[in-house]
Amino acid sequence: MSVLSDQGASQPISILLVEDDAPTLWRLQDALATAGFHVTSAATLAEARASLAQAGPKVLLTDLQLPDGHGNELIRETRLRFPDTEIMVISILGDEESVISAITVGATGYLLKDAFPTDIAATVRELVAGHSPISASIARFIVRRTQSTAEAPPGPPLNTARLTPREIDILWGIAKGFSYAEIAGHLGLSRQTVPGHIKNIYRKLEVHTRGEAVFEALQQGLIRL
Amino acid sequence: MTDAAPTTAPSGRRRWPRRATLLIQYLLLQPLIIVLCLVVLRIPSPEPPSRYLVTDFSLRENGVERSVTLPHFITSRYTMRDPPLYSGRFDLSGGVPHGAWSVFLPRFTNGVEVAVNGVVILDSRRNPAANRPDRNTPEIAVIPASLLRNGANDIAIRLFVWGPIPGFLDRISVGPDAMLRPSYDARTLLFVTLPVVISAWQAILAVILGIMWAMRRHEPAYGVLAVAMAIGVGQAFFHTPLEDSALSRLNAILISAAPLESAFVLAFALLFFGWKWPRYGWLIFVPGLVVAAAGLAGDATLSRDAFLLVGAPTVGLYLIALAVVVGHSVWRRQDAISFMLGCALTIVLTCWALDVLSVVQIFPNRRILFARLSYSAMLVAIGAALTWRFARALNQVDGFAASMVVKVREAEDKLKASFVREEERARAAALARERTRLMRDLHDGLGGQLVSIVALSERGNASAGIGDAARAALKDLRLVIDSMDDIGGDLMLALGSWRERVTAQLRPHDIALVWRAVGPQGLPVHPELRPWHVIQIVRLLDEAVTNAVKHAGARRITVSIETTGDASGVARGRITIEDDGKGFVLAPDCEAGAAGQHAARGLRNMRSRAARCGAELDLTSDAGGTRVRLTLPRRFPDSDAAAG
Repeated sequence: MSVLSDQGASQPISILLVEDDAPTLWRLQDALATAGFHVTSAATLAEARASLAQAGPKVLLTDLQLPDGHGNELIRETRLRFPDTEIMVISILGDEESVISAITVGATGYLLKDAFPTDIAATVRELVAGHSPISASIARFIVRRTQSTAEAPPGPPLNTARLTPREIDILWGIAKGFSYAEIAGHLGLSRQTVPGHIKNIYRKLEVHTRGEAVFEALQQGLIRL
Repeated sequence: MTDAAPTTAPSGRRRWPRRATLLIQYLLLQPLIIVLCLVVLRIPSPEPPSRYLVTDFSLRENGVERSVTLPHFITSRYTMRDPPLYSGRFDLSGGVPHGAWSVFLPRFTNGVEVAVNGVVILDSRRNPAANRPDRNTPEIAVIPASLLRNGANDIAIRLFVWGPIPGFLDRISVGPDAMLRPSYDARTLLFVTLPVVISAWQAILAVILGIMWAMRRHEPAYGVLAVAMAIGVGQAFFHTPLEDSALSRLNAILISAAPLESAFVLAFALLFFGWKWPRYGWLIFVPGLVVAAAGLAGDATLSRDAFLLVGAPTVGLYLIALAVVVGHSVWRRQDAISFMLGCALTIVLTCWALDVLSVVQIFPNRRILFARLSYSAMLVAIGAALTWRFARALNQVDGFAASMVVKVREAEDKLKASFVREEERARAAALARERTRLMRDLHDGLGGQLVSIVALSERGNASAGIGDAARAALKDLRLVIDSMDDIGGDLMLALGSWRERVTAQLRPHDIALVWRAVGPQGLPVHPELRPWHVIQIVRLLDEAVTNAVKHAGARRITVSIETTGDASGVARGRITIEDDGKGFVLAPDCEAGAAGQHAARGLRNMRSRAARCGAELDLTSDAGGTRVRLTLPRRFPDSDAAAG
């Protein structure tokens, strides 16, 4: 832990934390600051935009339900303006509804509001290191969407057409609770390549522009002109 | 047969007035038709100008010579030898004419040989059509100019008579061919060409009816009528030589054609109008067969007598029977077919009666026979009836198809509506069930934990306890939400999320979680797996982990997931949770011993949850640790029977 703190001190990682519930904000802020991150906090969308006016942070952590708007707007704007910023959603339950919609606008993971401080720090650090976290339930939601059904499944729209069979296999492994090492073993991969695959999965699920969304929906046969 | 015309079936007494009106109309129409027939038949047949008539003849018969005036009847005879000879003369006082002159014989029975000035110029026996007494065939012959001489010319006519009907010779004309031929042509058209056309029509009917019967074997009426038509055609087109020969025997069969044909038509009417076939119905064919037998077995005399005595009355009788059958049908079915056939029959019957009167010389009418000709009315009526019926059947098919389309659409709509209703009901029921379950699950977990938080917060000094309780509440909330998700019967998907939660739970306690899943599949898929099964199993596993954390003081928890075959070889999932804690003592009744009341309640809960899912729970504990082994059922139970 001390080593990590040193790393943080030598190269402070900037984090923009957007959360309207004060106790939760304090809790997360404490956990991240203790771990050595440089945390800027905002309670509303407006404050967050003001903070983003000058420069993009390394990491954006945002709640979705904000007093003056939805966190997804902030994620989309940040994604467009600062492509290098890692974005995570702060969620109470880690439910698919909120997390998946955030993923499609550019988020690459989520953080539970009640996670232990050490876990909070570790998750952010892994994110910066290029390891996008993914939970079993999110992986389950995505792979369920790859199984074509006649009628539109409930939940937010998600385009899984670009996922490769290998990526889908990895998602199945995660959904069933296997570790990266176990998945790599089952699929004959190197363990180190699994996080990269997951990052790719996130990128593929992201819908960049309105035009692209329409194009992909056409390709998938979701809409007809 | 009746089923083909269902709309005309009578239905109740209130239709009687209408039916009576129709019948009266029908009955009034028939005399009108008879009168009309009589009027039409009284129109004289075409004849050349009267100045060319030659009527005064001297007849030599059986060696006796007498003077006669045409038209003349002569008694029936059965020999061709020494025929009656009519000798007369015509005058060419103005000298031999420039144009051709002819002899015109408008009507004779049965054959003639005409000689002018001793030279035979015409023998009608070579003309088969002229040999038929039922055809009113005229003859004309041009007199070679070299035969004619100035002044008186002789004309001699031999009249060949073969019984049974008496011989007849109408007034003859001798004059310029140009003056005589128009009447001859008119008569030929009327009495020779028209019957041929009608016979052709009859042949077509025979073919159509035959095809109809071949395609619809269950309607023998058409077959019967086809036979009748075929007999009629055969009778019209087959001619046999007049001389006594083997072939002339066939003549007998032709003679028997008329009674046979009328018998078949009667049979058709009986079948067509839905009469029950009489038990001795086949007797109607007997007269025709008798005539045929007489013709084949006996000599010409017998055959002709048989025809006159048996055949002709039979035809009349059957015509009357037909009129009765059709009249009844007009009353009962009130359809156009009966009406048309009935009117046609009246025409035929009238002509037949007139012919009989003519033959027996009560109403001589110069022996123009109309029965055969009037039969065309019947044929036209049959053709029209067929077409009418065909068109109506097509309309019915169209109507049926249209109504079927409507009915099918209605049924479809109804089905769709009921399906939607049913689906909605099922959905509502499922929703209600889910709500009940959710309430119970939230009550079981979250409710208790929140109450615990309230209690702890009131004590004021147990903030750590509040944190644990709140964390447990959140964890349970996630479990409930997670279990609502459709996992397609793959329990592994639920265990994946559970592993994450347990990992997070164990990390602050510094307890290691070893996860051993055998194979990528792990557990068998249970399509019947429902969310409430998942909640029970996950809560059971939670309970085992919580016991290990709180009461056993374990440092390491191992979760093993595998699929084993049971005694009968069916794959069954097994989840084992082992810890390295201090264990507890199990009482003989499997209740927890000294390990504390809390753990005891936990164990009881675990047993109850396993029982509700039909799973087997196996608990072993000793100083080296505790092992909880859960063997999943082959099939998860449908209803939560043990829940109450």
